[in-house]
Amino acid sequence: MVAPKISIDHGKCTTPFDCKKCLRICPQGVFWVLPVKNVRFKETDAKEPGAWKLIVQYRALCTDCGECRRVCPVAAITITSPAISAKGEKGERTG
Amino acid sequence: MCEYCEKYGEGTLWYLNSRNYGRQLYRRSRPGYVPDAISYRQERDKLWTEYFEAVADGLEKAERLRLSLDKLVQENEPCQVLPLKDVLKLIEIAQPVASMSCICRKQMRAADERSPAEYTCGGLGVGMLKWERWPERYRGGVHFMSIKEAQDWVTRLDRKGMMHCVMVYGSGYEGRPFVGGLCNCDYPDCYEIRHRLDYKLDHHLLKSHYVAMVDFNRCNGCGICAQRCQFGALKMEASRGKASIDMLRCFGCGLCHTGCPRDAIQLVQRESVPQLKEVW
Repeated sequence: MVAPKISIDHGKCTTPFDCKKCLRICPQGVFWVLPVKNVRFKETDAKEPGAWKLIVQYRALCTDCGECRRVCPVAAITITSPAISAKGEKGERTG
Repeated sequence: MCEYCEKYGEGTLWYLNSRNYGRQLYRRSRPGYVPDAISYRQERDKLWTEYFEAVADGLEKAERLRLSLDKLVQENEPCQVLPLKDVLKLIEIAQPVASMSCICRKQMRAADERSPAEYTCGGLGVGMLKWERWPERYRGGVHFMSIKEAQDWVTRLDRKGMMHCVMVYGSGYEGRPFVGGLCNCDYPDCYEIRHRLDYKLDHHLLKSHYVAMVDFNRCNGCGICAQRCQFGALKMEASRGKASIDMLRCFGCGLCHTGCPRDAIQLVQRESVPQLKEVW
């Protein structure tokens, strides 16, 4: 089985750790949020644009339910379902 | 026999051997030297991404990646489940114990635990005294606890429904590891559980030295245990109205045992069950 492709527009999604809507709603827990700005002796600010990055870690578990896309306030998430080849469909029907 | 008890147990369970907590003390940093932990993490993170993508796309190389990743973790950062009774013993020998914010919950659900009342992750040994270098890892700070406080803290999280595991870190001294982490986890926001259950990376979370069994005469079918199992091993058997545990799926965390109001679930030694003694 091939999982859907999920792309995140990091130009739009700038403060994922502060927003956290997709991270909290995903039933499968597909996303990770990571601090990309790590400074010694300093805690990373949750509201600083670009200091955190949202990534798709467990894409194999994505069911394409679309909840993350629905809750995203900046429309940064795009999900592309895997293309089903015409040949495969035909093959299954004629069995 | 458990492979870590064989290597580092010295006659007891490896996590109850106090030697395994002291190695951090002897580690020296040299200028220009990249610690094993950092180079290991870079390699692990790269392999993670590659492996998870290969699984998502159903590629053949996934199995090969799984094996090399599992081997890497086996040597550098294994983790094993343990029941509450062993955690309470471990805390007595692993001072200092500090609680802090959980990195898994931070990454997966953007949890921002900011006070000792919220902290769910535990750090063990002298390594914790260096936390101020990287406050981002320890958001909100760390909270050092006395033995009694630490035991109460773990018991509270156990009651809440979190299972416990100990984590080992790399080659501490003379290539031998030290125990550094005490996690309190649940599915799906713990990456150890997820990597084992969802991605078959076995050394990310080894099963405990125990396995749970139900005493059917005592079980009255209240169902509390079924809400606590993090591994999908315990179900309510509808026809009999009793709890039923799949011993092959059971990780021996003991959450069902500690949650049972009638003491109807017992933990037995894994080694005493012939078919399970090599299942970790």
